[in-house]
Amino acid sequence: MDTARPDSPELAASRRGFLSVAAAGGALAALGGLPAFTASAAPRRPVGSPLLTAAESAGTRLWWQAPADDRSMITQGLPVGNGRLGALVGNDPGRERLFLTDATMWTGTLNSTLDADGQFPYSRENFGSFTLLAELTVDLPDHDLSTVSGYRRALDLRQGLVTASYVRSGVTYRRQIFASAPDDVLVLHFTQDGGGHYTGAVSLDGTHGETTTGTRTGGQHASFGGEFANRLRYGAAVTAYGSGGTVAVDGARIAFRNCATLTVIVTGGTDYAPDPATGYRAPSLDPRRLARTKVLDAAGHSATTLLHTHVADHRGLFERMDVTLGTSTPLQRGMDTWERVRARFTDDTPDPELEAAYLQFGRYLMIAGSRGSLPLNLQGLWLDGNDPDWMGDYHTDINLQMNYWLADRAALSDCFDAFTDYCLAQLPSWTELTRAHFDDPRNRYRNSTGKLAGWTVAISTNVHGGMGWWWHPAGNAWLCNSLYEFTQDRAHLARIHPMLKGACEFWEARLLTTTVTDPVTGERREVLVADSDWSPEHGPLDAKGITYAQELVRSLFANYRTACEVLGRDRAYARTVADLQRRLHLPGVSAKTGWLEEWMSPDNLGETTHRHLSPLVQLFPGDRIRPDGSTPEAIVEGATALLTARGMDSFGWANAWRALCWARLKNPDNAYRLVVNNLRPSTGGANGTAPNLFDIYQVEQGRGIFQIDGNFGTPAAMIEMLVYSRPGHVELLPALPDAWAASGSISGVGVRGGFTVDLRWQDGRPTEVTVTSVGGRTATTVAYGERSRTVTLAPGRSVTLRDLGR
Amino acid sequence: MRLSPHPARRTASTLLVLALTAGLAALTPAATATDSPAVQGVSAPLAAKPYMGWTSWSMQSSKYPGLNPDGDYSYLTEKNVLKQADALAAKLKPYGYEYVNIDAGWWRDLDWKPRFDAYGRQAADPGRFPRGMKAVADDLHAKGLKAGIYLPVGLEKEAYGGGGVPVWNGDGCTTADIVYGDLRTTNGWDSAYKIDFSRPCAQKYIDSQAQLFADWGYDFLKLDGVGPGSFKSGENYDNVADVAAWQRAIAAAGRPIHLELSWSLDIGHAADWQRYSNGWRIDTDVECYCNTLVTWENSVEDRWDDTPAWTRHVGPGGWNDLDSLNVGNGEMDGLTKAERQSYATLWAIAKTPLYTGDDLTRLDPYGLSLLTNREVIAVNQGATPPARPVTPSDDQQVWAARNPDGSFTVALFNLGEAPASVTADWSVLGFTGKAKVRDLWNRENLGAYRDRIAQALPAHGSRLFTVTPQGGPVLTRTAYEAEAPANTLVGNASVADCGACSGARKVGNLYLGGKLTVNGVKVAKAGRYVVDIAYVSGDARSVRVSANGGGAVGHKFPSTGDWGTVETVSVPLDLKAGTNTVTFDSGDGYAPDIDRIDVPNLA
Repeated sequence: MDTARPDSPELAASRRGFLSVAAAGGALAALGGLPAFTASAAPRRPVGSPLLTAAESAGTRLWWQAPADDRSMITQGLPVGNGRLGALVGNDPGRERLFLTDATMWTGTLNSTLDADGQFPYSRENFGSFTLLAELTVDLPDHDLSTVSGYRRALDLRQGLVTASYVRSGVTYRRQIFASAPDDVLVLHFTQDGGGHYTGAVSLDGTHGETTTGTRTGGQHASFGGEFANRLRYGAAVTAYGSGGTVAVDGARIAFRNCATLTVIVTGGTDYAPDPATGYRAPSLDPRRLARTKVLDAAGHSATTLLHTHVADHRGLFERMDVTLGTSTPLQRGMDTWERVRARFTDDTPDPELEAAYLQFGRYLMIAGSRGSLPLNLQGLWLDGNDPDWMGDYHTDINLQMNYWLADRAALSDCFDAFTDYCLAQLPSWTELTRAHFDDPRNRYRNSTGKLAGWTVAISTNVHGGMGWWWHPAGNAWLCNSLYEFTQDRAHLARIHPMLKGACEFWEARLLTTTVTDPVTGERREVLVADSDWSPEHGPLDAKGITYAQELVRSLFANYRTACEVLGRDRAYARTVADLQRRLHLPGVSAKTGWLEEWMSPDNLGETTHRHLSPLVQLFPGDRIRPDGSTPEAIVEGATALLTARGMDSFGWANAWRALCWARLKNPDNAYRLVVNNLRPSTGGANGTAPNLFDIYQVEQGRGIFQIDGNFGTPAAMIEMLVYSRPGHVELLPALPDAWAASGSISGVGVRGGFTVDLRWQDGRPTEVTVTSVGGRTATTVAYGERSRTVTLAPGRSVTLRDLGR
Repeated sequence: MRLSPHPARRTASTLLVLALTAGLAALTPAATATDSPAVQGVSAPLAAKPYMGWTSWSMQSSKYPGLNPDGDYSYLTEKNVLKQADALAAKLKPYGYEYVNIDAGWWRDLDWKPRFDAYGRQAADPGRFPRGMKAVADDLHAKGLKAGIYLPVGLEKEAYGGGGVPVWNGDGCTTADIVYGDLRTTNGWDSAYKIDFSRPCAQKYIDSQAQLFADWGYDFLKLDGVGPGSFKSGENYDNVADVAAWQRAIAAAGRPIHLELSWSLDIGHAADWQRYSNGWRIDTDVECYCNTLVTWENSVEDRWDDTPAWTRHVGPGGWNDLDSLNVGNGEMDGLTKAERQSYATLWAIAKTPLYTGDDLTRLDPYGLSLLTNREVIAVNQGATPPARPVTPSDDQQVWAARNPDGSFTVALFNLGEAPASVTADWSVLGFTGKAKVRDLWNRENLGAYRDRIAQALPAHGSRLFTVTPQGGPVLTRTAYEAEAPANTLVGNASVADCGACSGARKVGNLYLGGKLTVNGVKVAKAGRYVVDIAYVSGDARSVRVSANGGGAVGHKFPSTGDWGTVETVSVPLDLKAGTNTVTFDSGDGYAPDIDRIDVPNLA
């Protein structure tokens, strides 16, 4: 955060105001303690058809020539989601499979009994795990893949639709699958032309040993319910209707015969509530009953009505940003998505339309996975089993933060709220766990000051107010900074203010005074340093004054002070914090390595090419280190040298973070190389992009796992290469790679300070930029290279500049 | 095999050169088995087509519940054989299945103790075959079926009887007179003494066995454990003389008996097997000896790799035998539907005998449909050549054969673990434009496809088409010889003589970093080119192929069977307008020798 230019309280406006100008309704309620799975108001139905033609959606449609293997759904299934309820969809003609998830479907507990080392247990039993809600199967025994021709499936990012089609005995069969936020259900709609029919059965199965039962009366459906050992209750229900044939409950299944069309509607959820006061439960909620109500309500509408309602809602979010990065060749356009990914790698030739679609895929995942429930975890909202690596939890030392680097930049601020809501709902529990256990004498990270205040977190957090693995003192600062960064909204600041304050209090109690000698002047001075900590996730386990903590805490202090100023609160304590901030030690450059120091040591104490860029948090996401003359050159050089040493060949989120840092250093070649490194086709578990474009991290030879952060961090880097901002300053095309230079455009980019930017460029130079104020500051500079203009705008007003690139 | 448009440059080797007309280059019919005598017979020559029938071994060898209640291999009884024969006659005979083959154990009791007659010849175990073997053959004939029987090669040790057992009709010969003095052992299990055919008594023993089978009325003999092969090599396991003796003995016995050899026969002796027998197992057992009849991983999938080397050796009179076709009951077979269809597809297009080892009384409807698809059976039984791979042996592969009527048999396979699209480019078949596609398994016309067909296949799945070109523009190619001086050789790569190669030379020694870059590959416009690669590789080898220094794609080239035979597979490469390079990189392995590449001239 740039504290030299704190946002003026008078000008602060809504982070959601950001988008309110463009938003076509679809206001998303903040959780505020309400369960995510809850009765919803009657959806607003669009008057006309919001459906797009094939040509209109072509640039944002991914397609494949083969269905998913249902043993490899995590790399081949297509993700859908309404922000709460998600599924991976297989699209096999003869056996449609959906692996359903609800963001709150978590086992585990508060996990508050420390291990012998004073750290948290980290097991599926105690800490818990994100798990599957259900599996849905639509069996069509006559439609075996070996008996059909012309198969293809697609993911239409713009309309939020999965489709599949094929020809069997001269009849073209089509299916559409979508996750509707307005109706809070998943819909599968099967049609055909040419006198074909559907005969088969729908099954809904739990994955935790539940029994599904069919009900014929009062609206036929099948459902199950269950309860975990942690008392989380959950349930799911499915119904179906068809035309031209029969649909009837048959035991636990719904059988259909000779139907010309078939519609299957499924939903489910839990009684989780983001409210520590009720133990994170909504006692009056009956998930199975609510699921039944929702599917039967939805079944009162035609599939077309449900589809139109969903597409209108989805487009309202998705179309807040458009991006073109250039034109692909006819050869590239002729290939399916997976062939294109492979050809992109094999030929090492840019495929600008694929690259733009990859960016939009990240936005699609954000819309599908982060609305009105818990935030995106390590796997986003998608699972193919009940034992995701690292429990599919929230990692607070990069992964959770990275998941949300995209949201504001990509015109999806609404999707950010789940992150804020989560932190605030966990905060009372985190505070209590810190109070009760942080100073446990066995905890190597305990405060040696003998004082303790506020709150912090462990590296992992669950949804029960609990934590897992090791304490992670600086995690509190990073969470706070993440929630703060794009904020322009007084109400939002007011919500997070106590969280920031508690983190400041934690650090006030924790910081140690030490004496350092300036390597140049030889001057000795007293500074404040963080107590023993681990620079994620390498090197010494208990080093004092690690750069990661120093830098994050510095931003925390600055952000807190700005928040106090905006809100007119805590003036005295803000002064205390200002004093702490002034005395904080900041890292220097090692004379030995030439790198920005990660530890208070000239030595390289860790792994040179380690995945984490913890000491570079002020290159990105922070911006204390800037290559614009405002930062001492030696620091910029040290940061650049460290980033260079970390290398170009990592994986997913680590590559994305590197790309973001290189974008900040205005090195388009390196930034682009790292982006396309993540586009490498992943086979056999190798690092890169899976057939369904999920980012794969190879944890060991032959075993790759899905970790969604790369899918958000990489698009965030792509945007950061096109537009850089800090409050009061916007810079165009800071790191435009040759691959995208010929011509392109991006609209709706959220910039810090309360503006959006629509940008066009040609031959590597901006041709037209429109800056729109969505509240916040009225003035900002807009720069391209050496040229800069200052614009002053009232909220809602915009200005278009055409001369910056001349 | 496929021919280049440069037949004149090809040395007159063993290849049958097909006239290249109307741009339909490509697949020749297989070399007809000219070495193989049309085996004597009263009516039709034996093995004019791959035989069809049933074998007892798959169920005998399985631990599937209930099949062998009286111990391992106990399934083999007269009762079970006749029960299967009844089912075969009722369900499959109308489609051409006729042989009922009794496999190992008919002369052994449930404890595997053998029984011999007074002349050292195997005799029916009365527990299994209480009426003797002739009665069974008679019953089979009465059902309109043919009878098959089984022997291991050599003189079984238990038949030796101290050397004093007389040979039937042997002019005083005894068992001591037919083997080597040192009683050296032979066959795949070392269960027999090797017969010394330099001794006159030896042939008499074989004659006595053949006469017995002829007298009993058997039409088929599987001779097992034959070497070189059966996992054995070396002089003691060279049973070529045994096989030749059997051919002579059968000819003298007065009854046509189909002679089939097992197992994993040495391809170096292909000419011997062709000369003396009617079929030879190219691989180990397809059975898994587990709770099902087979498993995909156990040995079914190996056949895609192992068959191509043998393809050119088949023809009327002698066929490559891929072992039994166990696709009739998914649950007992241990295979998915997709795997069963692929299994049946490979067997059909490779022109391998179609004999099932399934329980024919329990065929499921899908299994029955696989075994009785007349269009697929016609691919196997018709006067068409076997298909061979026209793409590398990657997870997704295309096999094809050019039929005498100008159509092509085209099979798509997805041997990968997940559904995948597989594409057959018409240019790989040697033509362009449109072609009509008939889907044989689904018995429907899919219409006309331009330039290619791509279909989604399930994991381990397949499609089988007849593709009929509709007379598109002539496809021409430009050839680039691997040995051309303009090319770049790296590492150990070197030019070598090669009689079968165009230009009589090739580039070999592509191993451990050895690399060949073909320079100056000119195309008029950028695009994806399906490039033919003529190569020589005595075993299946992988090579990384790339264009213009881009990312390389690893491909496994099927074996050409020896180091003197050229085959061709096609690989898609994205080329740019103008001059390109194409690189073959052995990486950290051993790559095939490269003869030439042929790049289509696209309009």
